[in-house]
Amino acid sequence: MVYFLWCRIKEADLKVRFCTNETQATREKFVAKLQNLGFDITFGEVFAPAPAACQILKERGLRPHLLVHDGLLPEFNQIDQSNPNCVVIGDAADNFSYKNLNEAFQVLIGLEKPVLLSLGRGRYYKETDGMKLDVGAYMKALEYACDIKAEVIGKPAKMFFLSALSDMDLEPDQVIMIGDDIVNDVGGAQQCGMKAVQVRTGKYRPCDEQHPTVKADGYVDNLAQAVKILLEHLH
Amino acid sequence: MATRRALKAVLIDLSGTLHIEDTAISGAQEALQKLRSAPVAVKFVTNTTKECKRTLCERLQKLNFDIHEDEIFTSLTAARNLVEQEQVRPLLLVDDSALEDFEGIDTSGPNAVVVGLAPQHFNYNTLNKAFRLILDGAPLIAIHKARYYKKLDGLSLGPGPFITGLEYATDVKATVVGKPEKPFFVEALRSIGCQPEEAVMIGDVCTELVN
Repeated sequence: MVYFLWCRIKEADLKVRFCTNETQATREKFVAKLQNLGFDITFGEVFAPAPAACQILKERGLRPHLLVHDGLLPEFNQIDQSNPNCVVIGDAADNFSYKNLNEAFQVLIGLEKPVLLSLGRGRYYKETDGMKLDVGAYMKALEYACDIKAEVIGKPAKMFFLSALSDMDLEPDQVIMIGDDIVNDVGGAQQCGMKAVQVRTGKYRPCDEQHPTVKADGYVDNLAQAVKILLEHLH
Repeated sequence: MATRRALKAVLIDLSGTLHIEDTAISGAQEALQKLRSAPVAVKFVTNTTKECKRTLCERLQKLNFDIHEDEIFTSLTAARNLVEQEQVRPLLLVDDSALEDFEGIDTSGPNAVVVGLAPQHFNYNTLNKAFRLILDGAPLIAIHKARYYKKLDGLSLGPGPFITGLEYATDVKATVVGKPEKPFFVEALRSIGCQPEEAVMIGDVCTELVN
């Protein structure tokens, strides 16, 4: 989970946006879950890959074969899925069966111009019962099988971050990103010109602080510490 | 292809060259018979990981191929050799029918992962299990990295895509023991006492052919 903080020099107002690669549920369900946990978050503040993907599908006349979590399907209700000419892959969890992956592969291999849209490219994430493979691993599997390159929608794709910034009418140097994924949150944000901080929670691992290519602008124990430091910095 | 030395051995791929599943490629039996009358050693090399050597041999004999078990060199054999060499206890993601070729190997408390063509293991839960072992330091041994294989009803994902996914997630490179890796062919030729320049390979997949 990532929070954008927007700092106005004069007013020290902070605007918040939530930029997530969550693809196991619709935004509505996701926002409701967080509200139930006591978070002050609204639908309009959330940027997620599925809606971004739908826009791209419509713009490019793409009809997807979906390999996604059942909980995400409603996001695609308005999308024509007949006679697919591309594959959209998300964090399908248990839907990542050999049968389903094979079906996606067979769609791609049968297309003259195979198009694979991946909702994020994360390597793994942490759940209460341990580390699990994320969509990126399965994206790489299909890339290898078909000898193609996927287009990534969601973090760390530049377009995804920039769409959130444009929604706030802000420049990258006015925004700080906080997240637990050194590559997708921190690296992705930095590539857009933002500063980024990694929290030592979630999928964080100590070796992230010696990452060969990404150096966060700060490492903090958790979101609370990040916010405390930022607010102190403002005053 | 020009050979500088006399041809001493022919390595022949099985799946796609001699047969597809339980169907012989048309004319292959006769071709093999003709080859047998020439003064060359023949070795059947295969990345087929769904079967152990014994059942593979039986299947081909049923299709009227003149072939013996000791002429078959598989990537499973190569994998077993490596496991023994490294003294590791593998999580075997291989087809049940291939387990026979790993008889005698300790698989309790695994500290290595061996991946072959095993569709029944390429599911979310089992791959997560393998992923966690590798994240904890277990070596990843790939029997081969074929992208797909041919079934009578079309193409199906091979082990390569899943190994690639695990490599990406863990940032660990697999050790590939099957075709088209050099050690595989060197091992196969060693068993018939041949040098590479004295042998020729016949197969059906471009990226796997080695001169």
